[in-house]
Amino acid sequence: MLEELERNLRAVRARAYVRVVGTFRELSWVAFEIAMPLLSVGAYVFLYRALGAPERYIGYVLLGGAMTAYWLNVLWSMASQFYWEKQSGQLEIFFITPVSRMSILAGMAAGGMFMSTARALGTLVLGSWLFGVQYRMEGIWAGLGIFLLTLAALYGLGMVGASLFMMYGREAWHTANLLQEPIYLLSGFYFPVRALPRWLAAAAGIIPITLGLDAIRQVVFPGAVDGLLDPGLEAALLAVSCAAYFVLAHAALRKLEDLAKREGRLTLRWQ
Amino acid sequence: MNAIPDGRAREAAVLAQGVSRWFTDTRRQRHQDGSDAPAGPRRVVALDRVSLEVQPGELFGLLGPNGAGKSTLIKILSTLLLPSEGTVRVAGYDVVRQAHQVRRRINVVSGGETVGYGILTVRETLWMFSQFYGLANGPALKMIDEYLETFGLADNAHTRVNKLSTGMRQKMNFIRGLLNAPDVLFLDEPTLGLDVQTARIIRDFIRDWMRRRPGRTVLLTTHYMAEAEELCDRIAIIDRGRILACDTPDGLKRRVQSHSVFRIEAARLDAPPEADGRWPGIERISWEPHPATGRTRITVIAADDAAVTPLLADLRERGADIIHLSKVEPTLEDVFLQVVGRGLGEHSGA
Amino acid sequence: MRLRAFRLAAWLGWQMESNWTDPWLFAVYSIIKPVSSALILVVMYYVVTGGQTQGDLFAGLYVGNAFFMYVGQLMFGMSWVVMEDREFFRTFKYMYLAAPSIYWYLTGRAVAKFLVTSLAVAVVLGFGTAFLDLPLALGAVRWGYLAAVLALGILACVAFGLLMAGIMVISARHGQGYAESFAGVLYLLCGVVFPLDVLPAPLQPVGRAIPFTYWIEGVRRALMGRGMSPSLAGVDDGAILAILLLSSLATLAVAVLFYAWMERIARDRGLIDQVTEH
Repeated sequence: MLEELERNLRAVRARAYVRVVGTFRELSWVAFEIAMPLLSVGAYVFLYRALGAPERYIGYVLLGGAMTAYWLNVLWSMASQFYWEKQSGQLEIFFITPVSRMSILAGMAAGGMFMSTARALGTLVLGSWLFGVQYRMEGIWAGLGIFLLTLAALYGLGMVGASLFMMYGREAWHTANLLQEPIYLLSGFYFPVRALPRWLAAAAGIIPITLGLDAIRQVVFPGAVDGLLDPGLEAALLAVSCAAYFVLAHAALRKLEDLAKREGRLTLRWQ
Repeated sequence: MNAIPDGRAREAAVLAQGVSRWFTDTRRQRHQDGSDAPAGPRRVVALDRVSLEVQPGELFGLLGPNGAGKSTLIKILSTLLLPSEGTVRVAGYDVVRQAHQVRRRINVVSGGETVGYGILTVRETLWMFSQFYGLANGPALKMIDEYLETFGLADNAHTRVNKLSTGMRQKMNFIRGLLNAPDVLFLDEPTLGLDVQTARIIRDFIRDWMRRRPGRTVLLTTHYMAEAEELCDRIAIIDRGRILACDTPDGLKRRVQSHSVFRIEAARLDAPPEADGRWPGIERISWEPHPATGRTRITVIAADDAAVTPLLADLRERGADIIHLSKVEPTLEDVFLQVVGRGLGEHSGA
Repeated sequence: MRLRAFRLAAWLGWQMESNWTDPWLFAVYSIIKPVSSALILVVMYYVVTGGQTQGDLFAGLYVGNAFFMYVGQLMFGMSWVVMEDREFFRTFKYMYLAAPSIYWYLTGRAVAKFLVTSLAVAVVLGFGTAFLDLPLALGAVRWGYLAAVLALGILACVAFGLLMAGIMVISARHGQGYAESFAGVLYLLCGVVFPLDVLPAPLQPVGRAIPFTYWIEGVRRALMGRGMSPSLAGVDDGAILAILLLSSLATLAVAVLFYAWMERIARDRGLIDQVTEH
């Protein structure tokens, strides 16, 4: 058991190493992943200013923009990663090793976290300074805690997605591409999710970012009274969904790997 | 054809029994005349009731043309693909229900693949894979450095993978396959596309590696006859998903020893002779045109020496010049021809 | 030969874009994605204004956002070809060697994106007209002006796509998001969803130097008879077209030179067929 755990932890570290090293060996992302996302989020800031929105909405946009970094990391650098590994012929070599698929995915997530965090911090810190956003300092630690819960649940969801990518390949890739904007919409990346019909917002709660963003906004922005649910309740729901996603990911990865091996899709490239 | 020898005593390193694998082709089918067939899935059989047993310490070869089912079998044995029917045990564990235990004891090296992350160095890539097998850093790096030295890659240890030549990448891939000291090593055309020297290095290493620990087992797929003959203790010939013959190289050659094998080289042969059974006593015939020289190499397996005479007369009647005629000792290539009915890359018939 | 390469590349791009699923799901994909993108802005607008959509600002931002999809998709389409062909299909070097002109090849691969995006734009505009009181009437559209503006705008999109493709040629795999990031910057600077005048003064000249600013303005005028940015109100339709023509051609010239420069760097460093997957 301990030997198994050690092997899986080594796998996490090794796969994360690839990402981190890759990040530092080619630095063009510093401009594209820090400076530019801030500017593109700025478009929504100026839109709100043009509409005369309350100042806290600027903060909402910055926070949503920061979370975009993690959402994109989960979607494209984790969930779809098995698809890319398959395309490049690496998947087979990973899958004959005696480690859990979740360890490999966790390693990818951990390794990609660096670039995502750099992007998120760039957007949040620089954006807050540029646009003069105010925060409730007494809510910062609670916000950070909710953020970590959100991230954990989000990456659990990413692992569930990875199982679908492993099986369905390009169809899953296009479906993820399809879901990008609807998730921005339904999770309220750039507006309080309460603006959506209640039933829709509740359904969107299945995406951890929906509840996470809503809760963080309520605790860190002064005057934020447009939350969907109480932040404490949202944090509790996030904790439950975190556990649920990891359990689901474990089962889904096994089941879909089995199905992929049965149908011969596991090693089928360019499908 | 069952490739399980009689009287086996100890647990086999690889035991496949009645293994079949089919794929369902759901595309609309076309008849030969171009009209559409009724819609419905078509079953494509990649393996057809394959049974084989490889003993610990054996270097077992699987010889067959492209599309014979070699790689499909390797994928099943290495837990990447489930069999449609049959049972498979590798290193004592069932590949379907005990895949995790199997993976701890095997490794796979495939030829013709570009393995590794281009942005990492050779040493980093190998270290990464060593971690997936739970090796501690120190011993792993020491082993990696030794293997790099053995394979002549020590100078490229810190070179990025995307800067390596094909041969170097394959050497690196090969080292990756050895890191976990597997009980069973699957080599799927490991020397494909490599230069002669690199292929030689790999073959020499395989022999030496097995000698150093007698319990190690290697299952090698190849379509290079010479490689199979040089390395393998036993060879199974597979074609169209079936094992057609299985024996030691000498045992296989004895199958055609009772026959006469001729090599003919002919020039000005416009069209190969029709293989319609008109030459009694000739069991198999294959021809290989060489457009660059304008000559055709013909291999004939005949029941006796006299059987080749009518064929020679027929060639002369067609205006061909017989440049060379020799009777040769049967090779594995001849065995393949006799068993399969065609050469690995040749036209043939009988 | 170049036209043939373009045609072949367009065919290949269409195969890649459409053969992953059945037509029904493809249609759903082509509708849901753009409509969701438009609805983000709609909800942002609603949240602040309480649901008023009759104003010029709403119409301007809605139309601007719809047509801006061309920018993102064509930039992404052309640059992604380099990444995907190089890293996954390992065919980029072969295309690079075989195609009579890599420019035509990359542009051809973007044709499918153009077609799919055109459908998306039509859907979004139709949705806005049907459900959000968007003041669009087919009879009132100045079709000739729209066609001219659209053609020049697409030319500018191709130019920027080539710029991004040049960056991809020397970038590692993690560059897959660059086109999106860059499109985001253009989204900010070109008066797509708010009047150019809202930008801080130092940024306004930057916006005025980008062809898309005039493109979006020209499209609004063609569709609705009026633009959105007060600072461009004094520029007549002909001038908008002329500026768009000159700036698009200039951008294309810069893009071709830039791509050639990046290609030279890539050849010098052996990056044409590099694989940097991590």
